Amino acid sequence: MNVIETSALGKRYRSIWGLRDCTLAVPAGHIAALVGPNGAGKTTLLHCAVGLARPTTGRVTVFGHVPAGSLDALERVAFVAQDAPLHRYLPVTAMLDLSRNLNKYFDRNQATQRLRSLEIPLHHKVGKLSGGQQAQLALTLALARHPDLLVLDEPLARLDPLARHDFLAHLMVTVAEEGLSVVFSSHVVSELERAADYLVVLAGGRVQMAGVIDDLLAAHAMLSGPADEADRIRQLFPVVQAREAGRRTSLLARTPVAPELPDGWDSDGVTLEELILAYLRDPSASILPGPFAAGRTSNVVGHDNA
Amino acid sequence: MTTLSAKTRPPGREHPLPWRPMARVTWRQHRGALITLVAASAALALAIVGGELDVQGPYARYAADGCILRPIHVPCGTLANRIAVGTNGLDALVIALHLLPVLIGVFLGAPLIARELESGTFRFTWTQGVGRTRFVVTTIVLLAAVVTVTTCALGALLAWYAHPFEVVGLESRFQAGFFDTTTLAFPAWTLFALCIGTFLGTLIGRVVTAMAATAAAAGGLLVAAFWELDHHLLSLGALARPVRPTGGLFLGVLNMPAEPGLGPVGSWLVRGWITGPGSYQLSSTAVGNLQNRMNAATSKSGTSEAAWMSLHHYTYWLSYQPADRFWYFQVITGAALAALATAFAMMTVWLVRSRG
Repeated sequence: MNVIETSALGKRYRSIWGLRDCTLAVPAGHIAALVGPNGAGKTTLLHCAVGLARPTTGRVTVFGHVPAGSLDALERVAFVAQDAPLHRYLPVTAMLDLSRNLNKYFDRNQATQRLRSLEIPLHHKVGKLSGGQQAQLALTLALARHPDLLVLDEPLARLDPLARHDFLAHLMVTVAEEGLSVVFSSHVVSELERAADYLVVLAGGRVQMAGVIDDLLAAHAMLSGPADEADRIRQLFPVVQAREAGRRTSLLARTPVAPELPDGWDSDGVTLEELILAYLRDPSASILPGPFAAGRTSNVVGHDNA
Repeated sequence: MTTLSAKTRPPGREHPLPWRPMARVTWRQHRGALITLVAASAALALAIVGGELDVQGPYARYAADGCILRPIHVPCGTLANRIAVGTNGLDALVIALHLLPVLIGVFLGAPLIARELESGTFRFTWTQGVGRTRFVVTTIVLLAAVVTVTTCALGALLAWYAHPFEVVGLESRFQAGFFDTTTLAFPAWTLFALCIGTFLGTLIGRVVTAMAATAAAAGGLLVAAFWELDHHLLSLGALARPVRPTGGLFLGVLNMPAEPGLGPVGSWLVRGWITGPGSYQLSSTAVGNLQNRMNAATSKSGTSEAAWMSLHHYTYWLSYQPADRFWYFQVITGAALAALATAFAMMTVWLVRSRG
């Protein structure tokens, strides 16, 4: 089952398309990272998924068939927006009460305990808390709803490295304990590998790459060899990125697990950061599982380098 | 295939939505404005009660002396003058009550959604389980209920306070201004101001701009009602009757309470005119000529104006609204404003639903 599924989803803001022809499926049970440059459409996609934005074209559903933004969806999806917009003039306890009254289910005890463990003063006004504390409060309020899907828009942006570490650690523990699915957008590529196990790369309002991170990494390799033989390799494997250094060249290519290479060529694994940056530098490259194949995302489908 | 169904949650922690929890949310989010509203209303209520206590003594004597039926007696005039002292207080309260709907529209209506949009907290509020539509509908309904009950009580209090002035003939509940601050029209105006403020706030999305727009829209319409609209409304379906002129002719648009002899007690005079032989209505020039002729004739012969007009087949007419039509016009005004308020509330909900 897919926790988020979009089909030819498009969102236009006046004359500008924030998202276009976006077909995507995020399977349940993953922590999915949504990455992309500024203006790629990450926030728009997440807003469509939680019902804050109405699609201009296409459709978006959650949990297989539930229309995004419907009451059924809202009861099961918790969203933490970018910059954690909470009522700054309310004390923390009032925010807890507010969330409790706005939801059929809200575990106030759990939320209070978590805030105490984070040493967030309950009687301070939200506006007096640090950016990190506000982010933690917003996450606490979302988790106390015990959602089936947690959607976070740039949750790490306002956090210092230590807070970022703690935030992700807590998120991973919660996911392990409660078995919820998480989709979060982030610019901080270096932190993704530790927290996420599913990756969606957006560029120019379109999905460029989506899949289980381990599968994506296994399906790519950094091939190094003589520069004058690069074309031969290009005929064997789809190359996402090429870098030349004198008479040698390095090609980031989609390859089988143990590729047979001509003499003089070496194969190394790629890091997630290398992979993401390579795809972002080449907007024409894409690797997509398709919306209805999400249940078998381990099989990365064919190359469609345009 | 992985399946993911809604979780089975620990028992005893679910509670129904939306009314009671939403009432708590509305209270928590707007308690500052609501406390201010109740405090201001309580202050106005105290001022009204204080004013009423001041005129209660003279009015009791006025009634006991039979002045209500025969106000010609000399003591009645003295008592009426003592009661008249209180009209300044009544006028001040009427002005203060006119400000209340505008203030409610500006400080409660305009920021209602605009603040969420401006601060970005709508991304929190509208993604909670209650849903944006239920959130907005229940918030507007609950605030509208509080505002309606409060202003209804204030309007009724003002009507009670004004009653002695009306009996003595110093004020009329048909009077522009007073008409809009009594039991039905006043809460309707307030409801209208609240809803147009909420609508403009949702449309504009900026608190200060929305407040200014609300002040202009609600205040503008209230002023227009005071100067023009109420007069047009109160002229609808007016009854006409021939009147014996005593002490001068009231001609043209009148909009004044009927003095004894000019109309039934408590009625509201709309217009006066004269018809000549053949029942045609005299133009203003003809009326001027007629008055000159009549003045000359009556001063020379000593005949009354009524006798002279009757002799020359002229008839003095007054149109008026009987006192018992007051509530019809209150219902018409209240229903029109309530309909406008409902329309603005529905457009607000539509804007909220379609936003994004």
